Amino acid sequence: MTHPKTPHVVDARFMEPPEPFVKTMEMLDTLQKGEKMLLLLYREPHPLYKVLRQNGHVYETELVADGTFEILITC
Amino acid sequence: MQALLSFEKAPPLAAPLRFFLTAPLFAMLAGLLLLVEGPGLFASRWSPATLAATHLITLGFMLQIMLGALIQILPVVAGANLARPLAVARVVHPGLTLGTLALSVGFLYGQPTLLLGAAALLVSTAGFFLWATGRALLGVPSTSPTIRGLKLALAGLAVAIGLGAMLALALAKGWPLALPTLTDLHAGWGLGAWAGVLLAAMAYVVVPMFQLTPGYPARPSWWFPLAMLALLLLWSAAALFEIVAGQRLAQGLLAVVGMAFAGLTLKLQNQRRRARSDATYRYWQLGLGCVIFALFLLLTASVWPGLAEAPGWPLFFGVGLLVGGFMSFIVGMLYKIVPFLSWLHLQNCGQAKVPAPAMNKILSDLAMQRQMHTHAAAFVLLLAAVLYPDWLARPAGLAFVLANGWLLANLLGAMRAYRRHAAEIAAKLAAL
Repeated sequence: MTHPKTPHVVDARFMEPPEPFVKTMEMLDTLQKGEKMLLLLYREPHPLYKVLRQNGHVYETELVADGTFEILITC
Repeated sequence: MQALLSFEKAPPLAAPLRFFLTAPLFAMLAGLLLLVEGPGLFASRWSPATLAATHLITLGFMLQIMLGALIQILPVVAGANLARPLAVARVVHPGLTLGTLALSVGFLYGQPTLLLGAAALLVSTAGFFLWATGRALLGVPSTSPTIRGLKLALAGLAVAIGLGAMLALALAKGWPLALPTLTDLHAGWGLGAWAGVLLAAMAYVVVPMFQLTPGYPARPSWWFPLAMLALLLLWSAAALFEIVAGQRLAQGLLAVVGMAFAGLTLKLQNQRRRARSDATYRYWQLGLGCVIFALFLLLTASVWPGLAEAPGWPLFFGVGLLVGGFMSFIVGMLYKIVPFLSWLHLQNCGQAKVPAPAMNKILSDLAMQRQMHTHAAAFVLLLAAVLYPDWLARPAGLAFVLANGWLLANLLGAMRAYRRHAAEIAAKLAAL
């Protein structure tokens, strides 16, 4: 799945925890520094945010009309 | 990767668990009270035993679990960390437990001293909880409808407790206040602004997450908590200025907004991706149906006020909203939260070397479903007892004791399974 914001997308909207976390960390492992990935979820993943901050990643979150949180993470 | 799953400095399991294990005991006490009092408890919403039973459920069961769950869940849903979660639990749990007991006994025996003591204890306990959570939420921007909902719900709790304390003082000191109007307002803030908004704020996260439904659309999610609080402010202002039509309008609109939320949740549940109907899903279906039923009663009474004077109307409404609605939502969520927390802690015990068991090894769906059938039977008996109290009040009380005893047994069983698995994991780690 691709998205206008980036071709690297984890659509975790119908996944149970901890799968969204695991899939995101797996994708980050495959990206080069400066590349971006997008995580789609129906909630804000605060525990993931904490890990992203600890690992030096930058992220931006946007809530779109259908209730999806689009989290754009820079590797 | 596994090590990263232990990222979260989750509050210790002991912090929320004491609340979860105490709550069924209070519900059992309410059932016992019905068993002892019998039909008298259904005579009027104002009878001492009815007031005691109502608070055993709202404070003893609902508030216990809500506060315990919030201590655990604030970091996950809002990124707000309590400074010392276990210390907060150690203060709030005994304060709420003793305050609820004192209030119930004070109602039952008409003891002004106990009512005053209970009010002081509950106000200081809730005040401490609001201070601790307020500090954690201070500076957390409202980036999601859940965070905004949480903040507004806590404001609702503050008003509900404040009005409750005022009522307790008025009863104990014989102040000449309009008790029925104030009591309705107290219930409105407690059940609408606190419990209702908190439920919605949690539902935005847990319904899609645990039931694999689509998300709640953004716009109504932002507006629901604000609309609820605005309508309660309207109701309060109308009560202050004794504008009856304004009070009825606010109550009717609150019913419509609440039914819209329940209807939206039902719609999302119908689009879920999980084929199996587990206990949580069924509990929520029951809860949503009951909430719509209770709010429909409220709506009709706001249009035709005479209905609320009909015998049994307030009790139908109360049983539908509290036992059928809120208790069903809460137990349904507990049945996800307790296995999930146990799994999370076992995962951390395994230190990424020994995997945690599946969540259904901690609490089986069959055990949850069977308990749920008993809860549903108790609910139906309670509703029927409103119509036939002489015949059914005591059987309903017995069924309610059984349903909540079973809930306690299920939770204790989950804790035994947790301890067994933790010991097995420790043994496996030692052998590595």
